[in-house]
Amino acid sequence: MTCNGDVDRRVFVKAGGLALVSLGLDPIFLTRAAYAVQRAGGPAAGKKTLVCIFQRGAVDGLNMIVPYGDPFYYRERPRIAIPRPGANGGALDLNGYFGLHPALAPLLPLYQRGELGVVHAIGSPDVTRSHFDAQDYMETGTPGVKSTSDGWLNRALVHAKDHAETPFRGVALGQQLPRALRGAAPALAIDNLQTFGLRGNREDVRDRLASAFEQLYQGSATGVVASSSAEGFEAVRMLKTANPTQYEPANGAAYPRGPFGNAMRQIAQLIKSDLGLEIAFADVGGWDTHVNQGSSEGQLAQRLTEFGGSLAAFTRDLGDRMQDVVVLTMSEFGRTVAENGNVGTDHGHATAMMVLGGGVKGGKVYGRWPTLDPAKRFEGRDLAVTTDFRNLFAEILSGHVGTADLGAVFPGYAHDPAGRLGILG
Amino acid sequence: MRYQPNVTPTSRSLAGALLLMGLAGLAVPPAGIWRAPSGTPPDSAARARALHALNRLTYGPRPGDVDRVVAIGIDRFIDEQLSPEKISDQALEQRLATYEVLKTSPEQMARVFAQAQRQQLQQRRERGDSMRPQPPEPGMMPDSAQRARLRQDAMDNPLRRLLGQYQQATMARAVMSERQLYEVMVDFWTNHFNVFIGKGADRFLLPGYIEETIRPRALGTFDDLLIAVAKSPAMLFYLDNAQSVAPGSEPPQLARLRQARGRPGRMGFGMNPERAESLMARAEERRPKGINENYARELMELHTLGVDGGYTQQDVQNVARILTGWSINQPRQRPEFVFNEWAHDHGVKTVLGQRFPAGRGMDEGVELLHALAKHPATMRHVSEKLCARLVRDDPPDGCVDAAVHAWERTGGDIRAVVRAIVTSPDFWAPENRAAKVKTPLEFLVSAVRAVGASPDTTPALAMLVARLGQPLFGQQPPTGYPETRESLVNSGALLQRMNIALGIAAGRAPGVRVDLDRLALPTADIETLVSAVNKTVLNGTASANTLKTMRDQTRDLSGETARTMVVGMALGSPEFQRQ
Repeated sequence: MTCNGDVDRRVFVKAGGLALVSLGLDPIFLTRAAYAVQRAGGPAAGKKTLVCIFQRGAVDGLNMIVPYGDPFYYRERPRIAIPRPGANGGALDLNGYFGLHPALAPLLPLYQRGELGVVHAIGSPDVTRSHFDAQDYMETGTPGVKSTSDGWLNRALVHAKDHAETPFRGVALGQQLPRALRGAAPALAIDNLQTFGLRGNREDVRDRLASAFEQLYQGSATGVVASSSAEGFEAVRMLKTANPTQYEPANGAAYPRGPFGNAMRQIAQLIKSDLGLEIAFADVGGWDTHVNQGSSEGQLAQRLTEFGGSLAAFTRDLGDRMQDVVVLTMSEFGRTVAENGNVGTDHGHATAMMVLGGGVKGGKVYGRWPTLDPAKRFEGRDLAVTTDFRNLFAEILSGHVGTADLGAVFPGYAHDPAGRLGILG
Repeated sequence: MRYQPNVTPTSRSLAGALLLMGLAGLAVPPAGIWRAPSGTPPDSAARARALHALNRLTYGPRPGDVDRVVAIGIDRFIDEQLSPEKISDQALEQRLATYEVLKTSPEQMARVFAQAQRQQLQQRRERGDSMRPQPPEPGMMPDSAQRARLRQDAMDNPLRRLLGQYQQATMARAVMSERQLYEVMVDFWTNHFNVFIGKGADRFLLPGYIEETIRPRALGTFDDLLIAVAKSPAMLFYLDNAQSVAPGSEPPQLARLRQARGRPGRMGFGMNPERAESLMARAEERRPKGINENYARELMELHTLGVDGGYTQQDVQNVARILTGWSINQPRQRPEFVFNEWAHDHGVKTVLGQRFPAGRGMDEGVELLHALAKHPATMRHVSEKLCARLVRDDPPDGCVDAAVHAWERTGGDIRAVVRAIVTSPDFWAPENRAAKVKTPLEFLVSAVRAVGASPDTTPALAMLVARLGQPLFGQQPPTGYPETRESLVNSGALLQRMNIALGIAAGRAPGVRVDLDRLALPTADIETLVSAVNKTVLNGTASANTLKTMRDQTRDLSGETARTMVVGMALGSPEFQRQ
């Protein structure tokens, strides 16, 4: 017996919910339990999955999706600009005005096939340049409101029309449940599927430990979470038979080494295991490039290589199943138009986001481009926001996940049909 | 539907299997059993208060601590803990004396780092890149083969060895020190002024940062601590201020080089002039050419005023300008603070309405830091964080007000502020007891202390903290680790805690040696066993359900196996996750 696999996974499914309650979490987590009782749906086939990727640290949208057609771009970034398409280390042309960072080459075919769309000059209406406030606002879906305790993805789970009753509806790959997934609907943080694997232990021992801890955490929960359903345990057994250590990506997909590649591989695995995964979430960090961010090569290029390579591998691995999947990338804000004194960029305002999937109307850069003209910039310095991030998020929820009650997911936000991007058709 | 195990195993086979798995206790003969200090049983209210004080001001009680605190009185206990210099700490000092890293200066660390880099490069050339042991992904546990390779690599790599020692020393202090409140405060400030060990030079600067900047000031005054942090090479590097210079400024060495250009013999022996030119061009390209806002922003947002502290983007830029020139003297050779006059912006600046006239140097930065340190928003923000750590996640106004008042009265004497918090009615309010969930470090250290164990001399215990999701010094963003229960409690994390609890009870957790006989002798009498463990490990806090579960789940087990299960359940129980 080793320390990492002693307690049966069923404990984690069951005690997970129980433990939250018994550790005295806010009433919202009690509503979670009550909610689980009300919603005992059957497993839904052909379920759509939304995969959200958070580029924490504020990605430089201007070097990720390069506005090489904007004259101010080269003027403001003498040392870090990505050269024009065709030049050595140049951007990969998208539409005659924007280009991909060359490190994102694996994504170019997806754009050309129309499976990848880009939204530029997107961001928050709130003016903060604090990473942590801006991340919170993007995850709660309520810019400027600090009191929101649950996340927009969790509210999307709460307001989903029908769903399978499994503990895998909302899964974050990581050690902490991100704010976006916290709330009344059940959601799991799984650092690594492998660490839930059991090594050579006997079934009866696992049962004993499982039932011991289950009973231990059940008492203070007054049985409300006894509703963790048969489907939940079925899902756990399915996960067990999926045998995480033996997973082979399909179609020769090769995920880059590193935490983000691992996360994407595991999301693909969860999707293929048909566990009822509706919303997956993964973080990818290293974007806070204040110093020596590089140009076509260098620090940012390295991060983008892992980022783009992982997304491309994920798409290849899932193959036809990408019809039911949308990947949405986001970042709390963008970076200054002008490079700073250290060949890097400081905190800015708008950035770019990507939407990837079989049902995406890709091959296009969406959003109104405000230009980099200093007169058009936010506070005279940063790329202005022309698309509120909630516009895109809401569109994806209604078009892909099937969320009807957008007002409940984005309280206080009047979704403007005229501002529709049409990125899902 | 309630889950019931499908199979009810026979007690014999189950007990056998548990034993085989190493769940049974150590096969050593019973040694001295811990006994409570003799005397009349103290009343339960005093015990509850003592337990609360120990939960918050220490890393959790060891067996017998509650009785000791009751015996000397809580006020005296708090006084003692607030004067750590008067507490003898011999056992810890003996342990620490074995760690070379604590005798290694920052200059030596820098040399070791440079040497390790050269060595690694050479090894890579010799073995080919693929042979290089990959460190585990953050949050992933290495398998045993990987662990062996990492161990080997750590021995080969002197920097890793020293950093491994530093992690051990950190764990040893948390578990073993008698100056517990001091160690708690060191952890608080280390997290408040977070530096990520994974960023470049911070790999070797971090031990010096904790030892020389944080530790001497953890119970000093806030402005002294703030200024020391601002001058620390680790922070200057982590938040990029070392590279922030006034636009148009140029280091004197570069100016000299520029003048020397074209004169033969001045660019380096045997270097071809074209290569020298290209090196020069490269240096020119990478040379800092303007301000960097990173530190200025986090200084106000995280270290002092708080995000709602009323500063503007203009203030951020002006703070950055004031701190231009605050840098590191040769980070890789002599990592120490330097003020580069040539890099300083000598213009007029205004911050939060205060005007800094033209022509000043380093002194304006010091004045700014003093002003930030005593700004009302700073007093409130930092007091709130202290109360969130010591009292409740959502800090009650009463104790924050008490802390701010003490701050104003004493000019930011941290000792006085902490005393004000722990003597405020909010600290003792019944609803705030057991109201916080332990962080991974707190959980693990408190578990080791609860069973009266000590860390061994391997980095394994620190690796367990990493497995629980908060590796020591491993938080990349400058916020430090969150400590609210919402961020600490999720199914995966709890599962890991249960596993580690069982591992410790079974004497199988890496990095810690446990003698269960100190807690309870193995016995077939389950009632005796459960009540002994409830007393020694949980200080009588077990709920009726926990007690019942302990009985139900061990009735059919042999004495030793039952003891292991009960201790494991105690450490993994909901009660033990709270403090």
